[in-house]
Amino acid sequence: MKALGAFWLRFLTIAAFVMTAGFVFVRGQSSGIKVVDLIPASLSGETNQDSEPFLAVQAVNPQIMVASAFTPNPFSASGNAPVYISEDGGATWVLSAITPVQRMTCDITHAMPTGENHPRGDLHAGTLACAASITLDESESNDVSASAIMNVQSTRSNVDQPFVRALGISNSDHIYVGLNDFNQPNGHTATVDVSVDGGATYKSVPIEARNTAGQDGPSVRPAVAGDNTVYAAFFGWRKFNGTVATSDVVVVRDDAGATGPLPFQALKDPSDKLPGRLVVKRVSIPWSNAPTLGQERIGSTLSIAVDPNNSSIVYVGWADHGNKGDIYTLHVRRSTDRGVTWSKSDLPHTTIRNATNIALAVANNGTVGLLYQQLSGGRWVSHIVQSRDAFATIQDVILANVPANVPAEQFLPYLGDYDYLLAVGNEFRGVFCANNTPDLANFPQGVTYQRATNFGTKTLTDGSGNSVAISIDPFYFSVPVKP
Amino acid sequence: MNTSRFFLAGILCVNLLGVAALPQATVNQVALVKQSSIVFAGTVSQLGATSFAGVPKSAQTVVVRVDSVLKKPSAVSLKKGDNVTVELKDPSAFQQGRQATFYTEGWIFGSGVAVKELGHEFRSGTGEASKAAGADERAYQQAQDRISDQDLQDRLNAADFVVIGRVTNVHRWNAPKSATTRVSEHDPDWHEAVVEVQSVLKGGQVKGNKVVVRFPGRNDVAWVHSPKLEKNQQGIFCLNRDQATGVPTEKVGGRQVAVYTCLGHGDSLPMSDAPRVRALLKN
Repeated sequence: MKALGAFWLRFLTIAAFVMTAGFVFVRGQSSGIKVVDLIPASLSGETNQDSEPFLAVQAVNPQIMVASAFTPNPFSASGNAPVYISEDGGATWVLSAITPVQRMTCDITHAMPTGENHPRGDLHAGTLACAASITLDESESNDVSASAIMNVQSTRSNVDQPFVRALGISNSDHIYVGLNDFNQPNGHTATVDVSVDGGATYKSVPIEARNTAGQDGPSVRPAVAGDNTVYAAFFGWRKFNGTVATSDVVVVRDDAGATGPLPFQALKDPSDKLPGRLVVKRVSIPWSNAPTLGQERIGSTLSIAVDPNNSSIVYVGWADHGNKGDIYTLHVRRSTDRGVTWSKSDLPHTTIRNATNIALAVANNGTVGLLYQQLSGGRWVSHIVQSRDAFATIQDVILANVPANVPAEQFLPYLGDYDYLLAVGNEFRGVFCANNTPDLANFPQGVTYQRATNFGTKTLTDGSGNSVAISIDPFYFSVPVKP
Repeated sequence: MNTSRFFLAGILCVNLLGVAALPQATVNQVALVKQSSIVFAGTVSQLGATSFAGVPKSAQTVVVRVDSVLKKPSAVSLKKGDNVTVELKDPSAFQQGRQATFYTEGWIFGSGVAVKELGHEFRSGTGEASKAAGADERAYQQAQDRISDQDLQDRLNAADFVVIGRVTNVHRWNAPKSATTRVSEHDPDWHEAVVEVQSVLKGGQVKGNKVVVRFPGRNDVAWVHSPKLEKNQQGIFCLNRDQATGVPTEKVGGRQVAVYTCLGHGDSLPMSDAPRVRALLKN
């Protein structure tokens, strides 16, 4: 009897193990979803708050990618700020200190078009240096794996939140840097820096046409389609009282790559005939530069994405206060006529409470992807949602579900003022930041760590067996596009 | 303990006894230690090679097996037996099996570590090592203290004003309406501290013995390393004339006075650093 009991106990234990292993394998592998912690093995001892991620994928060779975060130079306070580089489609990453900024950027975005035909290059970045005077560098690298410092092509100060998009056209990189430019007159600060010669020269184009509360909101987001149509979305701040911005969500369009004499004036709002279509008017956007949504600050999350093969279809997403009792609510609208008219209400399944870091992308087959991070039940939950029918039906995949109260914030932003999503062939690729506890329960699709971990004890180690504190890490992911 | 480590420790110990009395070559080694972020002893195992993917291979790169790690940042995982890619200044001086101490700065971090050589020292493997037996860890710690001195010296050199004082008042600074204010997530949220000056270590005399110091109150990424001054805080303050807020003067006691900023990591030091600061300012 005793022997029989022991047999069944062993059998059930083995069965449970096999089922668990199979479950992890299926969830991590056969779904085709990849989630990778970007911190390399040789930096296993790091405990930085590596927040605010961004991603660029080389247009011709998507095996080459560059990611960034608020990751300091790991060996020198006076050395250059680093980026993460993958040459194998995101399976492994190295950290290389190639940006022109000392130690750590205070904003960085980038794109990798291939108009200039550099097989591992044409990385164009906009970086802010953390200093008494915050300075923007617009720079490029022709070979990210050569480890040479990026070449600064343009520098200026008194701007905020550069957001780089680019497209290779006729052997030249067209670069569009959305930014909040405090040098613009009359408080028309929403601006796109345009270069049609690979960054050799830039022209600053103000895209705000209406009166503002002295300035627009920080987020100015361009989106480029393959036919040379360029959209940009921004928050037209009409009133600001220190804690709430009364804002329009504005979309401008240019049909010729912003190369003409009066760029971004193709869309006019019927209410005042001024350039820039008002997608929504005078919404209340809370502005809090202190922990407000969990340990995160809020005030300016915005995204725009255009169908790469049909530039008439464009999506815009943002966050505002939402309903009474809500902190921060996401919304997504769509236009199918080149931004002339927009859905009158949020698309189905896209009014999302207590969430931030919205990022939209449209795949070649028209599937739209929506990345966001929601505070739910004391946890940060990172979602990637896909839809073929403007969110009437959706596929919602949770990439990470991690504690929101640990680690304690080292600075703001806690996770980032943005994350990022791109469509690459039949994949959505993106980056988000999260608590890095090595716990498979936190990553329902599975996860790969490069840094040293002990999943058994759910702890990080320094590679020599010493434990390392939990911190915020950037995570890369790839998800197959819904057919 | 390997021989190169003893050898290096010996050099450092001797240096710490009095740099001025040493030959130039030895002084240069101390400078190399200061400059280097990663110092290790190792044996060259491959020429024209790299130890992990993502590092550009060239005639200047070699793979070195680590025999001992003498200095590294805590974030970096590096231990005896690891293979490191070193980009050499002059690869012609190296053959497989050659042992050396490498003074380096970080380069690329992936599944392994890649570094750039700043200098090297071939290991003789003779009795020189025994001179420093048992002293290497202490010597290295002392050497690293000197590196901190170097960083501090740089900061002191850059400061317009270095004072010992006490913070008597801290309040949010509201910029005058004439000043341009912008709303940004990097808004520093300027605060002002009044510092009662007890002694001036660098810079001119202070009328009234008080200075107004502005600092960012915000915990934004741009200001995370800036000192956040607190009332009754006593210490040493490295100050610069205000070129950040756009309002570089202020009326205090009926007089228009210059305002200072305290922005950088290490601009506010505890009183325990006073002897070190005084000594460095004499240099």
